[in-house]
Amino acid sequence: MITLVFYAFLCLGLIILQTTILSNIPWPGNCYDLLIPFVLYLGIYRPMGEGLFMVITLGLVMDTISSGPLGLYGAAYLSLFCSYKWGTRFFHVGNRLFLPVVVASGVLLENLLYILTIALSTPFYRLPEDGMGIVAGQVLLALLTGIFPFMWIRSLHRAWDRWYYIILEREKQNGI
Amino acid sequence: MFSKKTILIIGMIALVIVHLIILSLSIRKPSLSYPSGGTSISVIAPFQSLVTRFVRSLKQIWRRYFYLVHVAETNEKLEKLLEDATSRQTRCREIELANLRLRNELNFQKSMDDKVLSAEVVGKDPSPWFKSVMVDRGEVDGVRRGLPVVVPQGIVGIITDVTFKYSKVLLIVDRNCAVAAMIQRNRARGIINGKSGGQCSLNYILRKHDIIDGDTVISSGLDGVFPKGLRIGKISDVAILKSGIFQEVTVDPFVDFETLEEVIIILNPRTNEFMIR
Repeated sequence: MITLVFYAFLCLGLIILQTTILSNIPWPGNCYDLLIPFVLYLGIYRPMGEGLFMVITLGLVMDTISSGPLGLYGAAYLSLFCSYKWGTRFFHVGNRLFLPVVVASGVLLENLLYILTIALSTPFYRLPEDGMGIVAGQVLLALLTGIFPFMWIRSLHRAWDRWYYIILEREKQNGI
Repeated sequence: MFSKKTILIIGMIALVIVHLIILSLSIRKPSLSYPSGGTSISVIAPFQSLVTRFVRSLKQIWRRYFYLVHVAETNEKLEKLLEDATSRQTRCREIELANLRLRNELNFQKSMDDKVLSAEVVGKDPSPWFKSVMVDRGEVDGVRRGLPVVVPQGIVGIITDVTFKYSKVLLIVDRNCAVAAMIQRNRARGIINGKSGGQCSLNYILRKHDIIDGDTVISSGLDGVFPKGLRIGKISDVAILKSGIFQEVTVDPFVDFETLEEVIIILNPRTNEFMIR
């Protein structure tokens, strides 16, 4: 339960950062979806049930605040989560050397799903003209910086757990 | 009969399929929304509003004070005079610009017979693929789905989601947005759709119509949403293909969506009357 509270605060922070500050920074194709490192973190390091619940909730929230078709974020996050959960059985994706590639591949997969959806919603299945630029910009940025939000989420979660453990210990000592 | 692992795998596949079905349904019918959608917006939008205001005030502080301090360091002799003068000038300029913007907005509001409401942009769409903004007006202010949103420069978009205090505006540069439009000079009618790169395309313009770069595009009022005569943009490119009965027309919107801070929501649009501007 306490982990879910942490996730709720983290997601709220990431969504607000993304929709108010990062969306105003002029980078080709804007910054990549900061929730991807979080979804991948859930897929790689966290238990299935906990991750699945968060990913579905996050998909619902993002679908609501975005003007994209309903279910797009949900489908993207869920596919990424399942792919990486499955991938951890065969590859050591948690290795720091691979993390930038892992985040960049997540960003690429998400964007490909978006492009496909946009193409399907146009009368002649037209691909977005600036699609390549946006995808390239986001993947490049994810390759260069993707590891930072990932590691940041991981260390923040550890700090949160440590803090909670200290509180529990104190309560035990006080006999609460 | 089945192991726990198999059930889990089947469950996950089923979940992905359910999401894909919802996605394919919503591609066909874009007005679909989750019943609990308003809750998410109500939770997130106040924080967006807070952060946006905080960032704007930081920008102001940066512009007004830190820059002046930097100038003062490079010119010690004129420090006092320069700081005072520039500070006063910046403040005056800011006041002048705000005055001009508000006067402009007020004149625009006065020129409209419709009941209007001004709103502030508090957040943007999380994805660069879709174009929408969140504004700080909602049901409590009389906002409802389908209302047109404008600024003095032209049409901004349409309200697609409303919560108690916040609303989502789908911008005209989004691919899912459509506005009935016409070319002011020759009255050729078409439909404005969002396009990549912050531009719009004017679709269904017959080949017979003479269209030139720089022509002004206005709303035709035929969509039943936007009042007739509102400015949309100017034509930046016209392509007549060898086949097909329509021309491919690109339109540059008059509104700068990157710097959009305040908008006007028309609460009772009278679409069948011409706007007096």
